[in-house]
Amino acid sequence: MIRLLRAEWIKLRTVTMNWVLAIVAIAFPLLVGLLTCYFEADDPDFSSYSLLEATTGPSFVLALLGGVVGIASITGEYGFGTIRPTFAATPSRVRVVLAKGIVAVTSVAVVQALVLAINLTVGPALARGQGAEIDLDQVPTGAVAAGAVVFAAMLTLFGYALGMIMRSTPVAVTVLILWPLLAEGLIGGLLTLITDNDATAEWMPLRAAFNLLAIDDFGIGPSRVQAGLYFTGFSLTLAAIGAWRVARTDA
Amino acid sequence: MIVVDGLTKRFGSKVAVDHLTFSVRSGVVTGFLGPNASGKSTTMRCMLGLDRPNGGTALFDGKPYRTLTRPLSEVGSLLDAGYLHPARSARNHLRWLAASNGFSRRRVDEVLELVGLSSVAGTRVRGFSLGMRQRLGIAAALLGNPHTLLLDEPANGLDPEGIRWIRDVLSHIAGQGATVLVSSHQLSEIALIASDLVVIGQGKLIEQSTVADFVERYAERWVRVRTPQAARLAELLTTAGIDVERQPDSALLDVRGTSSEQVGELAAEHGVVLHELSPQTGSLEDAFLSATADAVVHRSGSPVQGSEP
Repeated sequence: MIRLLRAEWIKLRTVTMNWVLAIVAIAFPLLVGLLTCYFEADDPDFSSYSLLEATTGPSFVLALLGGVVGIASITGEYGFGTIRPTFAATPSRVRVVLAKGIVAVTSVAVVQALVLAINLTVGPALARGQGAEIDLDQVPTGAVAAGAVVFAAMLTLFGYALGMIMRSTPVAVTVLILWPLLAEGLIGGLLTLITDNDATAEWMPLRAAFNLLAIDDFGIGPSRVQAGLYFTGFSLTLAAIGAWRVARTDA
Repeated sequence: MIVVDGLTKRFGSKVAVDHLTFSVRSGVVTGFLGPNASGKSTTMRCMLGLDRPNGGTALFDGKPYRTLTRPLSEVGSLLDAGYLHPARSARNHLRWLAASNGFSRRRVDEVLELVGLSSVAGTRVRGFSLGMRQRLGIAAALLGNPHTLLLDEPANGLDPEGIRWIRDVLSHIAGQGATVLVSSHQLSEIALIASDLVVIGQGKLIEQSTVADFVERYAERWVRVRTPQAARLAELLTTAGIDVERQPDSALLDVRGTSSEQVGELAAEHGVVLHELSPQTGSLEDAFLSATADAVVHRSGSPVQGSEP
């Protein structure tokens, strides 16, 4: 398995598109987070809560691009035909799928953790330099940061699963984007109508996953831990379906 | 040794490979021939487990491909030179393959040197010509120094130097006892390197034999005679009920349906002087076209002049 992980890591880091995505995914939350801390910190209303919101909120973009990396890590193989030498080199498709998933998810999670670490270290220093009083112990910093890492990791897995099922980059990326915007909105709305309970829609997988990033607990829908477990289970189930499809069909 | 037994692959209602059975022995190059859409590539993909066969087995030294733990060190394959990520360099393409089977980086550089791509090892393959991609595919097949090679059109796109090189490489590898199965439409190349043939058409086995036996069985044979008394000899042969073809005012006769001995004896009996008497045999291409005449799916039109466009 170590050999396979090494092979997949080489593949991941030797594709230019992944570097472009990584640069955008790292630069966006850092720029937004740190510039907000620098320029907004002199506002009297700027608080520890504001800082946590500014530094962890933009990490959604990193997670979304992680989903795209997850998609491309498998659809690229089918698109360029490299899936055939891949399976010729390792006939056990389940092991290949597992290794790919582990490499993509771990890479995105590590990058997310690093970006958050920088934002949560440099951000408060910049804000304090502007006169703001920041105490990150007053807000659930650790929980939100951990939630953001899990969110990015599982959105990557979700994208990877979509890639395995769809086998087409444009189709899978479209589904990744439209799923929370359209599919969950429609289904959630329908379920709310049927059950006459607003909380039902909060259990739509991606909407629930956003609770991982929430600073406040509104007491509706799943808690942070529940949301993490729920979205992880959902992504793993989709990944299992995708892996089954990859294993059962012609390469 | 490769043993394919009853291999069957269907795509919907179309049977691409139909209960195909053949074996490939070690120590020689075996040509895998068939017209377009005869099922050669599908057969190779099924042998490697890339396509799921509907029936039958393919064994490499007694083992199915999927059970090989480090397959690249046992079976090297080149199915399509285009199976490359365009943004990845030649070296990185080989590096991930090497890593997946536990080969060293040094081995990657060795095979790049072997196929003549060292100078472009760091170049992205999107700029590679078909011949360079083919060389990279061959490098990947040779990466694990395998004792079995499965190559689909390896000479496709190669320049004359490359074609001679791949011919020498395959002959050398087979000479060391390896099992080599090569599919190609370049029959002159196959005639030069292969000792054995597996010929298929519409997914079914047409013939498995040595190249010599195949040509002997399917190619036309005739006797070429050059004589200053062509008209006289032609008349004698025709009288004896033998088929003779003679160009007007030519000293050459092509005689069919008899042996050179018979023609020589007849000429001697009647005092006809002969300047040449040689048995002729058609090429591997002639034999192939004859053997697969009923199995051609995509038949070309006749090269006659058409109407004005």
